[in-house]
Amino acid sequence: MDTSVKIGSLTLKNPITVASGTAGYGEELSRFVDISKIGAVFTKGLSMKPRRGNPGNRIIETPSGVLNSIGLENVGLDEFIEKKLPFLVKSGAVTIPNVAAHSVEENIELCSILSKTPGIDAIELNVSCPNVKQGGMAFGTDMCVFTELVEQAREVTSCPLIIKLSPNVTDIASFALRAEEIGADAVSAINTLLGMKIDIKSRRPHFANKVAGLSGPAVRPVAVRIVYQIYQKVKIPIVGMGGISNIEDVLEFIMAGASAVSIGTASMVEPAVSGKLAGQLEDYMKKEGISSLDEIRGAAHRV
Amino acid sequence: MAQLLSMPQLVAKDHYMMTIKMDCPSIRPGQFVNIRTNEGTDPLLRRPFSIYDADGSIIRVVIRVIGRGTEILCRMEPGEINMLAPLGNGFTVENAGEVLLVGGGVGNAPLLYLAKELKKAGNRVTYIYCSRGKNYIFGEDEFRSAVDEFLITTDDGSAGLRGFATEVAAHVISDIKFSRIYTCGPDPMMEKTVKLANPGAKVEVSVENYFGCGVGICVGCTVDTTDGYVRACVDGPVLDGRKIIWKNMPD
Ligand SMILES: Cc1cc2nc3c(=O)[nH]c(=O)nc-3n(C[C@H](O)[C@H](O)[C@H](O)COP(=O)(O)OP(=O)(O)OC[C@H]3O[C@@H](n4cnc5c(N)ncnc54)[C@H](O)[C@@H]3O)c2cc1C
Ligand SMILES: Cc1cc2nc3c(=O)[nH]c(=O)nc-3n(C[C@H](O)[C@H](O)[C@H](O)COP(=O)(O)O)c2cc1C
Ligand code: FES
Repeated sequence: MDTSVKIGSLTLKNPITVASGTAGYGEELSRFVDISKIGAVFTKGLSMKPRRGNPGNRIIETPSGVLNSIGLENVGLDEFIEKKLPFLVKSGAVTIPNVAAHSVEENIELCSILSKTPGIDAIELNVSCPNVKQGGMAFGTDMCVFTELVEQAREVTSCPLIIKLSPNVTDIASFALRAEEIGADAVSAINTLLGMKIDIKSRRPHFANKVAGLSGPAVRPVAVRIVYQIYQKVKIPIVGMGGISNIEDVLEFIMAGASAVSIGTASMVEPAVSGKLAGQLEDYMKKEGISSLDEIRGAAHRV
Repeated sequence: MAQLLSMPQLVAKDHYMMTIKMDCPSIRPGQFVNIRTNEGTDPLLRRPFSIYDADGSIIRVVIRVIGRGTEILCRMEPGEINMLAPLGNGFTVENAGEVLLVGGGVGNAPLLYLAKELKKAGNRVTYIYCSRGKNYIFGEDEFRSAVDEFLITTDDGSAGLRGFATEVAAHVISDIKFSRIYTCGPDPMMEKTVKLANPGAKVEVSVENYFGCGVGICVGCTVDTTDGYVRACVDGPVLDGRKIIWKNMPD
């Protein structure tokens, strides 16, 4: 039975990964999951310098979901490499940092340094971050800005490059196609959907940043639709995510066309879930007599 | 797996006690449990509660009903429950001599087990139990018998002294030189208690802000301190009260 997944030159031992922002730097999660047994660990969105993140409220539950406004708090590149990466390497995890800077230059610098750093297996470029030069509009919502960023990132990134697309656009598949044309090794989707919470007592937005990112089971049908649409346009692997909590959800994403999947919000509820899903996927394949996931990948398109 | 041993018992107005059996190593006062209210997706997140008391493999938690999750929990049938525990760091327990504990409302919950352990460690324990009113007081006898000096204050004067815990604390602190003060309750109460603390006394507070995961992976529970942001769920919930920047506490 073969559960492995290829992303450019990188091979994941299975398609179950943990998503950026809900896996920390692997250490906390490793109390609950053997991180060497899952496909990969996508670490928290990284910037050159440490970032404090947003003040005030950062998270709130919504119907079957979560709104977050963490503001990309992270330890910064130096501490990541010196203090966080060694643990991931020692644990035998496939490590994929999420690059999340606020300017093209900083993103490029991060890609360049990280892709030369031993222990980094691939880079995920998060294009949902606000571009400070463009008044805070996300890189991934304007095709010109997106193209410029991805082209430059591709140039400096010597390891596999995954572009994490923003779902807050009309036609996400066209962004996936552009990433493929530029030479990205894979795309990942979806990042959080823009949402908002207003506190009716104070009559104000709940979050200092006003808007926030929605994730969890509530977004799953949107994410499945998006993965399905991307699969119709591109040949590169898709890392699908958005509300995945159990094996049925994993299969749904694979049948929509995902090569690998990421567990985000579900790890917050059930920190051990990703490890369990890796085992359950094998059980499913045995039961269904499937020897390779290629047999079901994109199955929903073959009607 | 954890077992809820009986239906949650009403112990005061809107407050229920859960008695839970779990396999656990050792539990430190101030640690918490994180309970899933259902196996579906709504409510989605676990709910964190302080450990009120621990005795071998049996723990108790006090739940104040304030929303959907606590509403479900207080009606839970005995049997298996999905709980992660023990989590968080806990209070420092050592022989410090004179210690003061100040609890407000459901914030008294983590302080009973602490009081017992501090007593065991040889301290002289003074306890100020603050509540909105007589009907909201839980565990009075247990607290009273665990400590050396026990004072109740209520906002409306329906039990004990009338007024805020911090006013009473101010008097007590001017009489006795405490080497340690521990507090849990509403943020303004904890902030004042820190300000009142005898110079040189260590002040440990247990914060109860909104948690996402409770295990350190989401960075949703940050508290601003003079050492920078810390995650309340893993770096706390017990923090050095003197380091907290109270004006930056989330709502
Ligand atoms: C470390 C820790 C220990 C705690 N210990 C106890 C305990 O021993 N006993 C106890 O009863 N409660 C305790 N709490 C608070 C408890 O977790 C919340 O009251 C509970 O999660 C609310 O769930 P709900 O679904 O009923 O409320 P929801 O329906 O989620 O919310 C109802 C209302 O309460 C507010 N709210 C929810 N959670 C919090 C919170 N953590 N702080 C402030 N406001 C909140 C919401 O904003 C909303 O206005 C603790 C919290 C933490 C972080
Ligand atoms: C608390 C939190 C923090 C997140 N931080 C990041 C991040 O730093 N970078 C990123 O690309 N995505 C981040 N995400 C998005 C997730 O990686 C994922 O794309 C999204 O939540 C959808 O998956 P889910 O529904 O399984 O959570 C974050 C999500 C959450 C809930
Ligand atoms: S609640 Fe997620 S890090 Fe503390």
